[in-house]
Amino acid sequence: MGKDKVKRMSLLELRNVSKIYGDLHALDKVSLQVEKGEWVAIMGPSGSGKSTMMNIIGCMDKPSEGEVLLDGIDIAKETAKNLTNIRRDKIGLIFQQFHLVSYLTALENVMMAQYYHSIPDEKEAMEALERVGLADRARHLPSQLSGGEQQRVCVARALINYPEIILADEPTGNLDEANEEIVVDLFRRLHEDGTTLIVVTHDPEVAEVAQRTLVLRNGRLDHETINPNFTGHIKLS
Amino acid sequence: MLVALLAIMIGATILSGLVTIYYDVPRQMGAQFRSYGANMIFTGTQELFNMEDVEAGVRHIKASELVGVAPYRYETVRIHDRPIMAAGTDMDGARKSSPFWKVSGEWPKADGEIMVGKNVADTFRLREGDSLIATFAPETDGDEIILDNEMTFIVTGILDTGGNEEDYVYLSLDDLEELTGEETTLDVCELSVSASADQLTAYADAISNNVEGINARLVKRVTQSETAVLSKLQALVLLVTIVVLALTMICVATTMTAVVTERRKEIGLRKALGASDASIISEFMGEGLLLGGIGGVFGSLLGFVFAQVVSVSVFNSSISFRFGLLPITVIVSIIVTGIACMLPVKSATNVDPALVLKGE
Amino acid sequence: MFLRMIRGAMFRQWKKMAMIAFTIALGASLATAMLGVMMDVGDKVNQELKTYGANITVVPKDSSIINDLYTIEDNESTGSYLLEEELGKIKTIFWAFNIVDYTPFVSAQSTLANGAPVTVTGTWFNHHMELPTGETLDAGITNLRTWWEITEGKWLDEQADDNRDVAMVGAAVAAQNDIHAGDTLHIEGKEASKELYVQGIFDAGDEEDSAIFVFLDTAQQLAGLEGNIDSIEVSALTTPDNELAEKAAKDPSSLTVKQYETWYCTAYVSSICYQIQEVITDSVASAVRQVADSEGEILEKTQLLMILITILSLIGAALGICNLVTASVMERSSEIGLMKAIGAHNSSVSGLVLTEIVLTAIIGGIIGFFAGIGFAQIIGHTVFGSSIAIRPMVIPIVAVLVVVVTLLGSIPAIRMLLNLRPTEVLHGR
Repeated sequence: MGKDKVKRMSLLELRNVSKIYGDLHALDKVSLQVEKGEWVAIMGPSGSGKSTMMNIIGCMDKPSEGEVLLDGIDIAKETAKNLTNIRRDKIGLIFQQFHLVSYLTALENVMMAQYYHSIPDEKEAMEALERVGLADRARHLPSQLSGGEQQRVCVARALINYPEIILADEPTGNLDEANEEIVVDLFRRLHEDGTTLIVVTHDPEVAEVAQRTLVLRNGRLDHETINPNFTGHIKLS
Repeated sequence: MLVALLAIMIGATILSGLVTIYYDVPRQMGAQFRSYGANMIFTGTQELFNMEDVEAGVRHIKASELVGVAPYRYETVRIHDRPIMAAGTDMDGARKSSPFWKVSGEWPKADGEIMVGKNVADTFRLREGDSLIATFAPETDGDEIILDNEMTFIVTGILDTGGNEEDYVYLSLDDLEELTGEETTLDVCELSVSASADQLTAYADAISNNVEGINARLVKRVTQSETAVLSKLQALVLLVTIVVLALTMICVATTMTAVVTERRKEIGLRKALGASDASIISEFMGEGLLLGGIGGVFGSLLGFVFAQVVSVSVFNSSISFRFGLLPITVIVSIIVTGIACMLPVKSATNVDPALVLKGE
Repeated sequence: MFLRMIRGAMFRQWKKMAMIAFTIALGASLATAMLGVMMDVGDKVNQELKTYGANITVVPKDSSIINDLYTIEDNESTGSYLLEEELGKIKTIFWAFNIVDYTPFVSAQSTLANGAPVTVTGTWFNHHMELPTGETLDAGITNLRTWWEITEGKWLDEQADDNRDVAMVGAAVAAQNDIHAGDTLHIEGKEASKELYVQGIFDAGDEEDSAIFVFLDTAQQLAGLEGNIDSIEVSALTTPDNELAEKAAKDPSSLTVKQYETWYCTAYVSSICYQIQEVITDSVASAVRQVADSEGEILEKTQLLMILITILSLIGAALGICNLVTASVMERSSEIGLMKAIGAHNSSVSGLVLTEIVLTAIIGGIIGFFAGIGFAQIIGHTVFGSSIAIRPMVIPIVAVLVVVVTLLGSIPAIRMLLNLRPTEVLHGR
């Protein structure tokens, strides 16, 4: 009974999740819970399993063992097609390399996410770009935008479909400090609006603004710290 | 890389295949044109000549080019008291040199067999298997015909040519000799030679000058028309080859360009690692040229296979591999590949490595 | 949005698309040119083969063979002739359009002034005819004896010569009797005698060298055969014979009604012969096998050769297009991985890529089609001196070919897209 209660409360729960490539245990029996509205940072050195975990949480990969419960659904058991739908409906992705479609404008890149989700709505997409402060750059192609601006387009794209979780993989890895600041600010605002954020990062500065930090090492959850400097409001249910 | 190799191979295959066909067309088509029949005739310088003269003449012609030799001796014989032209010939030779003759029934094989022209058959109501009596009347004494000799022949076939051959009867030279009682001399000898017009003229001159007793002439109707048609056909294949080649080479080039452009990142990386433009260009070109070479070799082999297939299915004869074409194909492939790589590699080296690495 | 994405792809990266379109255009132009030439090569070569002269001869029905054997029975004539006035009818038969040229012959056994016997043949040289269809035709041996070499003087010209008493003398006759262009011959015919001005000496390389050629009426007057002709030579464009044609040639009445119709309405040499017999009273038209059969054979070989070359170039073009399409789709893997990551299904990604490629193919195909027509015309004018008629059939064939080839070419790329996992392309490289 107790377990069921936990399941209902947590937005995301990993239970003994392993990902094995041949002999390599990229993830080794990792368990964790993320509550709705939480802001979690995942840190760890290269090869610690960050990207694998990110892929699994982002429904782009399936664990070899264990259960991944997203909103109560075990994604390990879903078909590829359903995973695409879950990803589309519940997750917003932000990448280190931005990954914008080069021949579409900032606005169209945002609208593309709407298009695959439901129906593109130019006005709504425009509002999303306003939120990240890029309303005036909406008609520009990615090649005409700076790195920081491109990442902000990505943020706009990630949040356009009101996902349950925004998953960011090294979102500041390719940005200078000024732009890093802007993106982190954006995250803070998203958190204040109640969005669940999972940020994979190398950068301790980015990690320490989160509510808590999980540190991975050799595919295992090494330790967890509750960030003392966290300034945002804590919204635990 | 596989894509590039495949593209080069296709180009090389088409190049070597078409060029082989182009070179082979005159020979192969020339052989087809032999269906028009004799293109050279021997006539006697002193009225008549004999088989020895023919053999002496034929020796001047390459055996591989000689399609058929048909010696003819014409004598007037009487069949049912009507004068008919009888031609004594070598049946095998006639068959080869006049492939358009349509015989219903069989060609005569043995002595005592005869083939009659369609008109003769109609006049005397002859059919295959019938027998006919031919008499030879060398002289007439006043109004009276002195019959000299008489022979019975079996009609084996009826000849349909649409020409005046339909008015003749055909029998072997030996039979005609027996019927006339005179030693075989020839009136004319038809030859079918598979050679170009220039070559034929050379043969005719050589034979006329060197062989006493015979005069070699070309059948203008056949040789001139053949030259006219054949040169058009070859021009057609040449032009088609050029168009196809040009387009294929451009196709290969665009594919190579696409392949190299795809590797801009790699070029940027190398530059970032400190490679000079020259070394990048030489490295890429080397790779391209190697691909061009390999593709060229495989392509020329495949092209030969294709040409062989065409030759066998169209002309029923095989062609020999042209070794000279192999280096040409390889060189052309290398040049085309080289040019195709050159532009994109050059433009890629002009790009700032940082930009390329950041992902455009 | 779909359209916006397509538009973005097409216009904002037009260089890439232009390259694909260019390649497809090349392939399509190759296909158009080759198919165009291939389909027309039969007609063109058929025209060229007309240099071999007539492929049909028409003679009177009951002409005894004795009449032909002039070497045996000199002055004996059996009195069966064709009528000159019926000549025009040949251009009224069903296959009139395929009759390229024809000419009548009448021969008059005559003697020269020195007493030597000679055959004087009357014929058309470039006889001008106004056809009932409104067309005009210059018929005669000028075009039917292309291999004649004029060694002295020039051809007779029916349209220019006011003087009708002119002649062309065969090389053999000229040599034996020491005749040169510019001489005047006294010819003693059976019914009349004439003074003929020698306008040219020709070398035919066959037995015609021992004849004198004159205008039709001249020979008719010499022989007293006004209004009559001995034979007609017809040069017609024909379809190579097949079984049906052979069966019909033996006996048209053995065919079923349907077979008869097929045969009658196909330009087989036998059906043209049959139709000529229908319009010329008491005539027998037969194929000159030397010309008719050889033509068929050479036509077939040429067409087969062109078909195979066409197939080779089509395969080449197809592989070239496939190759480039594959390469260009592979290049976009990261963009497609992203679309999949943000929730695009396989179907929508494939739809997008295919639409782009097909649109490019259509643009390239249309450009290529017109370029191909141009290439075909270049080939036609260079080789045959006339334009190639592009058959309407070429359009659907090229269209289908381009679409099928591009789609087939996309198959490996699409398969790769379907199997592509976003994780493979999104992190780092």
